[in-house]
Amino acid sequence: MSALTFEAVRKTFGSNVALEGFDLNLHQGELVTLLGPSGCGKTTGLRIAAGFERADSGRILVEGADISKMPPHKRNMGMVFQSYSLFPNLTVTGNVEYGLRTRRIEKAERDRRVAEVLELVQLTALGSRYAHQLSGGQQQRVALARALAVRPRVLLLDEPLSALDAKVRTTLRDEIRRIQTEVGITTLFVTHDQEEALAISDRICVMSNGQIEQLGTPTEVYRKPATAFVARFVGTMNVLPATISGATEANVNGTRIAVPNAKGMGKGSEISLLVRPEDLTLATDGLAGTVTSITFQGASTLVGVRLDVIDQLVSIDVGQGGADSLTLGDRVGVGVNGSNAVCEPTH
Amino acid sequence: MSNTVEDPIAGGVLIEDSPSAKVPAVSRLRRHRAWLGLLPFFAFLFIFLLLPTLGVIRKAFLANDDTYTTKGFTTAISQEGAAFWNSLKISLITAILGVIFGTALAYAAATAKRPKWLRSLVSAFSGVAANMGGIILAFLFLTLLGRQGLGTKILTDNGWNPYKSWFSINDFSGVVLVYMYFQIPLMVLVTLPAIDGLKTSWREASANLGGTTLTYWRRVGLPVLAPSMLGGFLLLFANAYSAYATAYALNTQSNLVPIKISFFLQGDVTGRSPVPFALATWMILFMAVSMGGYLVLRKRAERWQQSAVA
Amino acid sequence: MAAISSRLKAYLGRIGPSLVLLAAAVFFIAPILSTARAAFHKVPTILLDRHTWFKKWSLEGVRRALDEPFFWPTLSLSLKLALVTVLITMMLLVPTALFVHLRLPRARALVEFLTVLPYVVPPIALVAGVAAFFRPNARWFLNSDFALAPFYVVMAMPFTYRAIDAGIKAIDVRTLVDASRSLGGSWATTLRKALLPNMASSLLSSAFLTATVVLGEFTIASTLAKNTFATFSFEYFSRDAQGGVGLALFTLLATTALLGMMTLLTRSKSRKAATVTRF
Repeated sequence: MSALTFEAVRKTFGSNVALEGFDLNLHQGELVTLLGPSGCGKTTGLRIAAGFERADSGRILVEGADISKMPPHKRNMGMVFQSYSLFPNLTVTGNVEYGLRTRRIEKAERDRRVAEVLELVQLTALGSRYAHQLSGGQQQRVALARALAVRPRVLLLDEPLSALDAKVRTTLRDEIRRIQTEVGITTLFVTHDQEEALAISDRICVMSNGQIEQLGTPTEVYRKPATAFVARFVGTMNVLPATISGATEANVNGTRIAVPNAKGMGKGSEISLLVRPEDLTLATDGLAGTVTSITFQGASTLVGVRLDVIDQLVSIDVGQGGADSLTLGDRVGVGVNGSNAVCEPTH
Repeated sequence: MSNTVEDPIAGGVLIEDSPSAKVPAVSRLRRHRAWLGLLPFFAFLFIFLLLPTLGVIRKAFLANDDTYTTKGFTTAISQEGAAFWNSLKISLITAILGVIFGTALAYAAATAKRPKWLRSLVSAFSGVAANMGGIILAFLFLTLLGRQGLGTKILTDNGWNPYKSWFSINDFSGVVLVYMYFQIPLMVLVTLPAIDGLKTSWREASANLGGTTLTYWRRVGLPVLAPSMLGGFLLLFANAYSAYATAYALNTQSNLVPIKISFFLQGDVTGRSPVPFALATWMILFMAVSMGGYLVLRKRAERWQQSAVA
Repeated sequence: MAAISSRLKAYLGRIGPSLVLLAAAVFFIAPILSTARAAFHKVPTILLDRHTWFKKWSLEGVRRALDEPFFWPTLSLSLKLALVTVLITMMLLVPTALFVHLRLPRARALVEFLTVLPYVVPPIALVAGVAAFFRPNARWFLNSDFALAPFYVVMAMPFTYRAIDAGIKAIDVRTLVDASRSLGGSWATTLRKALLPNMASSLLSSAFLTATVVLGEFTIASTLAKNTFATFSFEYFSRDAQGGVGLALFTLLATTALLGMMTLLTRSKSRKAATVTRF
């Protein structure tokens, strides 16, 4: 049985359609990320699940039961907000046991659970501190502990890392994933950061303008983007102007490239061919160009090449050591592997 | 090879090998001299605030025969005990009422979503009304609820003559009512920022954790607002206690300390009696304690409003 | 049953604030309305009924007030006092605030504390102090009507300093000064072209606020027996109630207009970002 289901949810704010025909099933224990730019409807979806917004039509189901009309305080979900959600007048312990007190759990059991969950987020020593005495990362960990203390059925995370420093963001995101798998709780995660989504999700739901663009595992979404939007939003893409020259073939200024995704597109139509940096290689018989930049990134190196014939800048991932013999201004050839390329009609 | 080093900031010579050579002597002098820039400010306050205040305190200790005594203070209390008591009553009552209605109004204005200009209107009006005191306010209420007032006439025509009952604009009840006109806005001004500081995420987090609206207010909302509300109470108390012009213009029959001070000052041409000055000193003391308390509470409230460190 | 009471609670929750706002509106507007009626309607209250209500409305009361011999002299004195007070305030507090920000940040806590001190000495106590100190020692000072100005500066200091300080905090003073000085500007030029234009809105709003306080100040003026607009208004009211009320209304409208202008000015100016202007 699905742990959390969105069934044909639609929500409008005035004349703005925030969500349209939104269908999503979360399996027990999985972490699904709603990923997209601001305004795509991801936060709206989360808030409808939490009960802070009411869908215009459609249903929300938890383990099969319809909770669409239930007020938020009865839904038994845990939520972590983007920032500043800790109660300032209560200590860390006071915050974490808040949900336990509303459920009238007695002191002994409360203390036990608080200790248990503070240990989970590794903040056992900070029980008597107040929110303003904690760093941003620590505050979010307390918020997580507070949400988990009540043992909710579903965990909702609304861009919990967006307000934090870059370094803290990476450590905390891995910790959230660790805790989530350890506890085994079904989790809905909202973010606009595609790197975050790729790093921690079981499945990613890429959204745009209130609709789902693609639902798949991180690998699927990255390697086989279903639409041009997904291709551009997740990871980086090179854009090559091309024409469809066959059933599964595209023509980039004379060079013919096999592109399986060209199927179904009209011959002769103008497209943008979207290719990942790792699908480009340095090949002597490829498109001619000049090296304009060499960016060392540790595990890989990105080589920027300005192509002669189309005056386009492409980025080639040459892996470790692949650029050792290159200098700026060198003449090179660029080979294109079209097996994962996406065709985007141009107009 | 000398042990002197040139000070990169002040350009002078650093004192060599002295234990306090952390601060170069030249720039230390410079730093002290910098305080001279504040001299006009200090001098102005000294002449026009400190000297009068010291004058009041000194005169309070000076008896009629030019000897120093504390009798002035005790006479002030025994002679004008009624005035003290009345001033205290008015300040307490208008402060409590001001806190209740002011908070309610501030909350209503802060949470109102339509129309959008409502909040700015309340805020702007409060800014005007809180500073309105004086005689204009008295005139306004005299035309409404004075013996010849429009409101009085309307009420009487419809069955209830307030003046035959317990109300009179010149009396205690009148002063309390009129004071509310600036006490409530003052409370609104002080409380609006505090209510804005109540983050929606707290409300939602509380609901998410199973709390009802009552739970939220009882365990988060009111405790967070408490320092501001208490501070507001103190501010309103001090404000009512020191108000003079309105009470004067209402020609109030109720005996109040500020009125008494002015009465004595104007009556006593020789300026010998310590009583008005003792009364004024008591007042300054009250104000110092109230304002001190208000500032401490405000700092407390502000600390909770900035929740993040990093 | 539970559903009904929770719906009822939700309904009350929604109309509660509106009721409060309505009650507040009535309480705060009623006195103004009754004052307007008293000023423009030449019918004594006891005679008011359905027949007399619509007759005898005129601007007579206000006109009588304006014709009073002491109206213009006292108004002009109060306006001049307001101007002098604002000037002293600006010349004293703006350099002080800038100095604290730029040269002596350690003095900030002390200066802020000092500017709040006037709250502790309310006008009635301050005027007692004036009587205690200045009357015996510097009677010549009190003879001038403008002796009121410095005390008004002190009275207004808590708000005015706060407003000026806020205006400075809102712009990056350090950067503006450094930019201006590095481009060759003297301190005077820096002040005139880089700092003041960007602080204009907070300076203006504190000036307007000071002016309203001065125009309405009664306590000190009356105790020191000066003829300001406020003392005149009171004396006139005790003589001629309807005229006095007309005058009160006039003052009220003027004050509201001043503060309205101030809010408009500060709102539009706060939208512009601070820049070093016109070099």
